[in-house]
Amino acid sequence: MVKRLQKLVAKFSEASSCSISATVREDQVVVLEGEVLDWTTADELAHRVAKIRDVRNVINHLSCGGRSLAYIPNKEAIAKGRSLGVLDEADVIIVGAGVIGSGIARELSKYKLDIVVLEKGDDVSQGASKANNGMIHPGNAVMPRTLKAKLNVEGNAMYGDWAKELHFEFKRLGTFALSYDKHDFYIPWLVWIAGRLNKVPEMRFISPDNFLEMEKDMHTKPRRVLYSPTAAYVDGYEVTIALAENAVMNGARFHLSSEVVDVDVEDGIVKGVVTNRGLVKGRLVINAAGIFADEIAAMAGDQFYTLHPRKGAIAIFDKEMKGPTRALNGKLPTTLRNTKGGGVHRTVSGNPLWGPNAVEILDKTDHSVQPEDLDYVMGSGAIVRADMKRSDIIACFAGIRAADYKEDFIIERSRVVQGFIHVAGIQSPGLAAAPAIAKMVEGLVKEELGELSRKDDWNPIREKPVVFSRLSPKEQDRLVSENPSYGHIVCRCETISEGEIVDAINRPIPAVTFDAIKRRVRATMGRCQGGFCGPRILEIIARETGLRPEEVKKQGPNSSIVVGTIRERYEGIDCRKTEARFVSSMAQEMGESDESP
Amino acid sequence: MRVLKTDIAIIGAGPAGLAAALEASRLGKSVTLIERSDDLGGILQQCIHDGFGLIRFKKQLSGPQYAERFIEELKVSDVSLLLDTTVLSIEDKVIFAVSPKEGVLTIHPGAIVLAMGCRERTRSQVEIYGTRPSGVMTAGTVQRYINLEGYLPGRRAVILGSGDIGLIMARRMHLEGIEVLGVYEVMPEVGGLARNVYQCLIDYDIPLHLSTTVTEIFGRERLEGVRVVKVDEDRRPIEGTEGIVACDLLVLSVGLIPENELSRKAGVCISPVTKGPVLDESMMTTVPGIFAAGNVAIVFDLVDYVSDSAEAAARGAVRYLDGQAPATAPLDVIAGNNVASFLPSRYHVDYVGEELSFFLRVKKMQSNARVVLKQGDTIIKSKKQQVVRPAEMVALKLTQKDLALIEASSPLVLHIEA
Repeated sequence: MVKRLQKLVAKFSEASSCSISATVREDQVVVLEGEVLDWTTADELAHRVAKIRDVRNVINHLSCGGRSLAYIPNKEAIAKGRSLGVLDEADVIIVGAGVIGSGIARELSKYKLDIVVLEKGDDVSQGASKANNGMIHPGNAVMPRTLKAKLNVEGNAMYGDWAKELHFEFKRLGTFALSYDKHDFYIPWLVWIAGRLNKVPEMRFISPDNFLEMEKDMHTKPRRVLYSPTAAYVDGYEVTIALAENAVMNGARFHLSSEVVDVDVEDGIVKGVVTNRGLVKGRLVINAAGIFADEIAAMAGDQFYTLHPRKGAIAIFDKEMKGPTRALNGKLPTTLRNTKGGGVHRTVSGNPLWGPNAVEILDKTDHSVQPEDLDYVMGSGAIVRADMKRSDIIACFAGIRAADYKEDFIIERSRVVQGFIHVAGIQSPGLAAAPAIAKMVEGLVKEELGELSRKDDWNPIREKPVVFSRLSPKEQDRLVSENPSYGHIVCRCETISEGEIVDAINRPIPAVTFDAIKRRVRATMGRCQGGFCGPRILEIIARETGLRPEEVKKQGPNSSIVVGTIRERYEGIDCRKTEARFVSSMAQEMGESDESP
Repeated sequence: MRVLKTDIAIIGAGPAGLAAALEASRLGKSVTLIERSDDLGGILQQCIHDGFGLIRFKKQLSGPQYAERFIEELKVSDVSLLLDTTVLSIEDKVIFAVSPKEGVLTIHPGAIVLAMGCRERTRSQVEIYGTRPSGVMTAGTVQRYINLEGYLPGRRAVILGSGDIGLIMARRMHLEGIEVLGVYEVMPEVGGLARNVYQCLIDYDIPLHLSTTVTEIFGRERLEGVRVVKVDEDRRPIEGTEGIVACDLLVLSVGLIPENELSRKAGVCISPVTKGPVLDESMMTTVPGIFAAGNVAIVFDLVDYVSDSAEAAARGAVRYLDGQAPATAPLDVIAGNNVASFLPSRYHVDYVGEELSFFLRVKKMQSNARVVLKQGDTIIKSKKQQVVRPAEMVALKLTQKDLALIEASSPLVLHIEA
């Protein structure tokens, strides 16, 4: 292994005229160091290294243009967090309130455990859980014999129960793998073989005519069609919110805007974590921090993987736009590696969704969308729908995949720290695998803490919030007579009432930002993108929370919607004096203009 | 669930809805005016600048003043008002609406006038890349925040698009102490009326950058800056002309689109050209008995035309109820040279109304232009205009005598000649 590694590193060093060094740790983890000129080199090398037999994983400390993915402790934040004293205490601390952290919290809330979830964002579902294509993959687009493949297929099968108990929008419509000509003839076959190996149920080849029958908006006849009926569609953030709400109902505590900056370990045993808001004590830390999980692992003194952000841009189109209802592969991406890349389908709310693409980046917080991202997304979609234009896009956004270099999930108890569980490298199909991941982690927690006793009053049901527009006129009428605020339509594009927004603000995980409201009730998500309803939503949030309007945020502490009031300019100004001055200056100006021709 | 009957239901109480309601009521019909906000006048209420009503009232009124003229008249009319009432859908000409006080209402009208106005194009329709921070708003939203809500949406603003609202907001923001760093326009000419360039930009030394656009947005949470770049004739960015402007507010004034979601639900055909419903000379849509008025039909430049079009729609609805609607198959009206959008797009030769105006907007500026309505080789009506601009609507007024020239044969063509 060492020989192959050195050869590979030498080859890369020479080809890119950089100085790269690789060391193999005792636990067979390879650490790459040095400087590269472009990030593609670093990314390629790390992936190649990860493929060498017996390499457990890769830590990539290569830097490029002064930047790298190496963890640097934030000493100032740690000192400040420690000085704030104890914020909370629990049996289990879950870091990250994405679909994974929230799913684990809900799963563990069955037991008599004190659970705290720490989330650095101001809402749950802030990372990859919100920015993805919402697909519950059947499990035939992942590499066979990986943990990913196993949990994908298992998770997919468990989604029906989740949907039933948690009442999120869930459509099990299936997906197609298509080929059109000799260049892509192998796609359905490849998917079929992977599906067979991964034990994906119900897959079958169907006739192209049958396909056109099922997808009335599609006009080009494919040559071969593989249909995988178990594929399903959700909104990732709706699933996450439902999980988090149900966990809260069952006693879990979510601390939002609480960033973990250090993990306290004494004599190899976890004691708790330090957050920007103080200490949280606990005997078990579950690291579900998404793209930041490698940093949390480093804080605990057990980093054996680097997570490399891989950005994917997604375009959402107006509901009126035509397109297939089930996911199709777009043109096979030749530039993509290690990821399936996206295709074309519809969100559960009915908007056509294209993408995502995949770009390796160095900045874990870079959610910007660039022209070349959309070139790719539009290009891949154009194969199936050539008539859709960029101007038909109503929103585009980018998500970050939390990938390690093995390109597999890392779900295990720490080998060096007692009371620390890694749930890292959860990229696509992480959303699909989430129920199975939660189950698997439940098992690991039992290994750590011993058998757990169940709560007698655990309630798996999270009721669906009112969606006014989906009710019949009779039901709408009854609802308005009970609570008139449902009769006040705030968002005209999506027909969302004031009552629904107030509900969102007062639910177990309160939605108090624009984006949090948007993710719960879809307000501002429609054609006007908040142009009409924005001011009304601002007013409702301010009224319900007691915040001043300039304190209401879009998302994040520096994202105020308005920055001040018009009145503030005139405070302390004596109007009579100002008026007198104004009159005299006007008189002067008029006098001047009289003289000019 | 309350059930209402009315001769004419009008959806939207902005300038179009108000004018239509009054006209229909004057002609003796029972009218129900449905408005989703708790106030009449629509967007006029936030347009506190002047310049409204020059044609209609020969006066420079502010938006609220213009609205007030109609509202005063409405108060003494028989029009029944449903405020705070949102129309949810129109099915088979039956309107379902909801209000906090009344719950769900079912309204059975003889005819419907759609007067929902228009909405602004947003960031996603103008290809701006980068992040999605707060501080990016349409001009109308900024106008609402400042004029109605009393909030400052930012302190250093860049305006993209030189449409009228953008120009007016440049001045408005300047007056409220917001530093307006510039107005950027991708086209080589201004999108708004010439008078607004003088009164809103030049008078306040606000720079105007033509053939320049915003291509990227920076800032994680709050807007921190935008990338601007000059563009060539095909609107492609010119390399080496990029610059970054630090700002915390990007105001988008990049055009308006008729709001026709309800019209679609009602089964009305939408014209790909005007983005509004396909309309005949009486402003009737392809669904008999459903009419469109004001900016739902086509985005007008002056509110005076909005009121005119609404009155025409109301008269059409009254004729429809009185059984005087044309019975023949309509002729198509086609856009010829340099015509971007126009109204009406169908014409009935047995139209019995009075004089009729054709409205159009051009694609590009043209000097010494002649606006012509033709049928085959016959010129029905033509008019000389020193200059035609995309920003300004052209009205071609046809008298009874002109209309008599139209024959039940080939389509009408509306075009601009040199």
